[in-house]
Amino acid sequence: MNKELPPGLALQKVDERIMTLNVGPQHPGSGHMRIIVQIDGDFIVACDPDPGYVHRGEEKMAEYRNYITNIPHLERPVIHDSCNVLYPYVLGVEELLGIEVPERAKYIRVIASELNRCVYTMYWLAIYGIFLGHSTMFMWPAGDRELLIDLLEKMTGARVTHAHFVPGGVRNDLPPNFEDVCLRQVNYFEKRIKEYAAIFYDNPILIARTANTGVLSREDAIRLGTTGSVLRASGVDYDLRKKEPYDVYDELDFQTNVLKEGDSYARSKIPWLDMMESCRIIRHALQKMPKSGSVRVKLKPNPKGGDASVYKRVESGRGSLGCYIVSDKKPEPYRVKLSVGSFRNLIALPYLLKGEKLGNMPSVYWSLNYWPVEADR
Amino acid sequence: MNTATGIIKALNSGIKHLAIKRFTLRYPEEKLKFVGDGYQFDPSTGVGIAGYKGRHMLFHDHCTGCQLCSIACEGVAEAIAMVKVPEEYKQNKKAIMPQIDYGKCVFCGLCVDACPFYALYMTNDYELSSFSKEGLIYTPAQLQVKPFVSQDSEIKITDRGATHG
Repeated sequence: MNKELPPGLALQKVDERIMTLNVGPQHPGSGHMRIIVQIDGDFIVACDPDPGYVHRGEEKMAEYRNYITNIPHLERPVIHDSCNVLYPYVLGVEELLGIEVPERAKYIRVIASELNRCVYTMYWLAIYGIFLGHSTMFMWPAGDRELLIDLLEKMTGARVTHAHFVPGGVRNDLPPNFEDVCLRQVNYFEKRIKEYAAIFYDNPILIARTANTGVLSREDAIRLGTTGSVLRASGVDYDLRKKEPYDVYDELDFQTNVLKEGDSYARSKIPWLDMMESCRIIRHALQKMPKSGSVRVKLKPNPKGGDASVYKRVESGRGSLGCYIVSDKKPEPYRVKLSVGSFRNLIALPYLLKGEKLGNMPSVYWSLNYWPVEADR
Repeated sequence: MNTATGIIKALNSGIKHLAIKRFTLRYPEEKLKFVGDGYQFDPSTGVGIAGYKGRHMLFHDHCTGCQLCSIACEGVAEAIAMVKVPEEYKQNKKAIMPQIDYGKCVFCGLCVDACPFYALYMTNDYELSSFSKEGLIYTPAQLQVKPFVSQDSEIKITDRGATHG
C-alpha cells in the first residue's frame, strides 16, 4: 500500500514548530477579512490573506441599472470616500455620452473629492492609531473628521453617502456663504493635523514600533503593482492627479509627497502629508473657482451610450481607482469593472510580513491603507 | 531629538487639551444646524438646491400621481409605492400618491430630482426610528406634515479651538 499520490493530494509535511493561526474574519484587528499566518515562535513564516467576506456584487448589479441609478450603489464600497469612488464612473459616463461639464462643477467636484479624501484618511488614521494602542490617536482624528463631514453635509446634504456627482456635473450648487465657512474650517483642520506630529508622528514610541518593519523596496513596490501611498512611501513619485490630470487638477498648485524608506512608518506618514496638500488644493480651488455659473448639464431622461468602451481612473484615498465601462446602445451599461487600490496593495502583504514578529502584523497590515469592502466590491 | 524629549513633547501636546473646551456634540440635547430646509430640486433649471437629505415632504396640491418618483426609485431602493388616497384633486385624477418605506430608503434624493411638479422635497428630519417595520412606512398623509425641528448647534472656531456652540 505504498501508492504514490499526485503532488496536489500529498499531505503537507508536519513541522511541529510551525503553528497556523487564523486572524479574522471576526477579529477586530483584521477588518472584514481573514489573514492566515503561520508562525514559528513569535516570527511569521508565511501569510495568506483571504479577502472576499464582504463581496456584494456591485459590478453585476451595475449591469441591471441605468447610468443614473447606478450612482447610489456604486459609492457603497467605500462610504467614507464616496465621491472618489464615484469619480471614475462619472468621468467615464461623461465620455460615453459626450457631455461637456461646466467649469464651476469641475471645481466643486475637486473640492468635494479632496474633502472626502481627508475624511477617509482621518478614519483610517483613527483605526491605525487604535491598533497601535494609541487611543488618543483614535479620538483626535475621529473628532476632527467632524469638521470636514460638516462641510460635506452642507455641500451635498448627506454625511457619508453623498450621491453628489452625476454625469454632467454635480447635483446641486454650493449653499450661500459656503466659501467662507469652508476656508475657516479647512484652515483650522490644517492647524489641528499639524499637532498630530508631536503626539504621533514624532513620538519615539511609534517610531520604535513602526520604523524598519515591513520594508518594501522600490523595485518590489513596482513589481507587485502597488499603488497610492504604498508606492509613494517606497520612493516612486506616482500620483494620478499629477500624471494624468482629470477635471481641473492641472490648473491647481500642489506637490506629491514621496518618502524613500518604504517601511510602515513611511507608509503611515504619506497619507498625513497628503492631507496637508489636500488643504492647499481646497484653498487654491476656492480661490480660482468661477463665482457663478451652471453646475449641471441637463441630460435626456434615460441616456444611452454608444457602442464603445471607456477606462478612466482617478487617485483615491487608497491609490489609483479605475473604472472600465462597456456600453452597447442600451440605457444600462453592458459591463462595469472597478479596479481598486485596496486589492492591489493587499498583494504586498505576504511579502511584507515574512520574517516579521506577530506583534507587528497590525501595524504592517493597516499601513497598507487597505479597505476590505472596496477590495471585495 | 532624543527619546526623553520626544515623549515629554507627546505628553505635553495631549495635556494642553485638558484646558480646552469639549468639541463633541451632546446629541439628544444639542442638534446640529443644517443649511436651508432640506434638499430641493428645480426642474426648470435642472439643478438642485443644497440642503439636508432627510425625511421627504409631499405637497398634495402639486402631486399628479405620475409615478416618476416611484420609477426613479426602482433601480435604487424600491422604497416608493404608489397608493390610493381618499382625497380628490383636480390635477390627480387617479388619486394615487407615493408612500415611502424608510426601512429601504437610502436618502439619495433621486426621487426629488425626478419630480417635475415641485411636489416632493426633502426635509431636515432624520430621527425616523420606530419599534416596528410598519412604523417606518410613511403614508402620503404622514408625508404631508412639515416636521418640527429645533437644530441650532454650529461649529464655532476660536483661537483656543473649535466647539459646537
